[in-house]
Amino acid sequence: MSTFNLDIVTPTRNLDEMVVSYVRCPGLDGSFGIMANHQEGIFSLDIGEIMIKTNSETKYYSTSGGFAEIANDGVCILVETVESASAIDISRAEAALQRARDRKSSSDKENLDQLRLASALSRALIRLRVAKK
Amino acid sequence: MANLKDIRDRIKSVRSIQKVTKAMKMVAAAKMRKAQGRMEQARPYTHRLTEVIHHLLPDVDRELLPLLDIREIQRVGYIVVASDRGLAGSFNTNVLKKAQQEIDEIGKQNVDLFCIGKKTRDHFKRRDYNIIQSHIEFWNDLDFPHAMKMGEGIISHFINGEVDEIHVVYNEFVNVATQSIQSERLLPLEYGDEDTMTHIDRLYEPSKEKLVRSLIPRHLNIQMWKYLLESYASEQAARMVAMENATDNAEDMIKDLSLEFNKARQASITKEMLEIVSGAEALK
Repeated sequence: MSTFNLDIVTPTRNLDEMVVSYVRCPGLDGSFGIMANHQEGIFSLDIGEIMIKTNSETKYYSTSGGFAEIANDGVCILVETVESASAIDISRAEAALQRARDRKSSSDKENLDQLRLASALSRALIRLRVAKK
Repeated sequence: MANLKDIRDRIKSVRSIQKVTKAMKMVAAAKMRKAQGRMEQARPYTHRLTEVIHHLLPDVDRELLPLLDIREIQRVGYIVVASDRGLAGSFNTNVLKKAQQEIDEIGKQNVDLFCIGKKTRDHFKRRDYNIIQSHIEFWNDLDFPHAMKMGEGIISHFINGEVDEIHVVYNEFVNVATQSIQSERLLPLEYGDEDTMTHIDRLYEPSKEKLVRSLIPRHLNIQMWKYLLESYASEQAARMVAMENATDNAEDMIKDLSLEFNKARQASITKEMLEIVSGAEALK
């Protein structure tokens, strides 16, 4: 399969440049896939999982959102955080999930920041899902 | 001439101070290297993000986004970045002086302050400036979420219309020996240079407006992160140089004191010999 270069960049680190054949990203309106020779463009990314296929293996990462820039010489994914399946701390993610659920069921409904709660919940869920792959 | 014991004690105390300054210098050097590494890691992200925003901005209606809103300036927000601790030469003094000068030009009653670092907070609190938020004691475990938290507070202050412009004063890391003080406008965002732009036929998903809306807060967060990193690296560099000078000065002092000590010692020996000789003379 034809391949292309993929860069994943965050404010605190750069993953090594990879040569891949397929990337699946969490777009705002659902996941989308990128293969070689895709039209140029900029896409917003939501909290979710990034799947990367090279010719020999498939890798999974969790991310908390950002955007992807597709240029003719490759794809660059700019996200605020990215964690590979093996780097995810499962107990921490579970604790975060528990905290978010506790907050959801707490009686203090008025001071609840729904948006923040929802994103904390989905971040924790995605982490756990990716970690189990 | 001071007596021998006094001089010996002084040499001892200078030497122990020298040990401390030497240790501080080495700690600062290690921290600075780490900070420099982080700055380099953040650079590609900052660079790409800025590029994309500059492509998008000219096509977007400013009215749509409160963060791009250019208003008549009545109140101004100032973010002043300094450190928590002193002993870093003129690092804090210079940045605070510059910030205060700019604020006084606008008039301190028209300025809302965001203080980053204990030294900034203490400086402006003592002088009764209008402090909205201060962030202190986070430098040791500096991380991106700190920048995001500060960014959020500052953005909401601007969106709520409390201030019409936001400026940042911070130390930029040029190299180990030089830090230059920068004062920049953070909000409202400015357009890139439109002439140099190339229009490429691209897909935007979702719409350009929505993209800009999600990109700009990210851009501001990364800017905050950049300011923090620059300032942190500068602080460590300034401390390293200051401590190196202190160590050298201590060395000079030890030299001078040793000379004085030896002179005093010789004088006392000469005096004793004279006493013995004249004592022997008297017995004759």
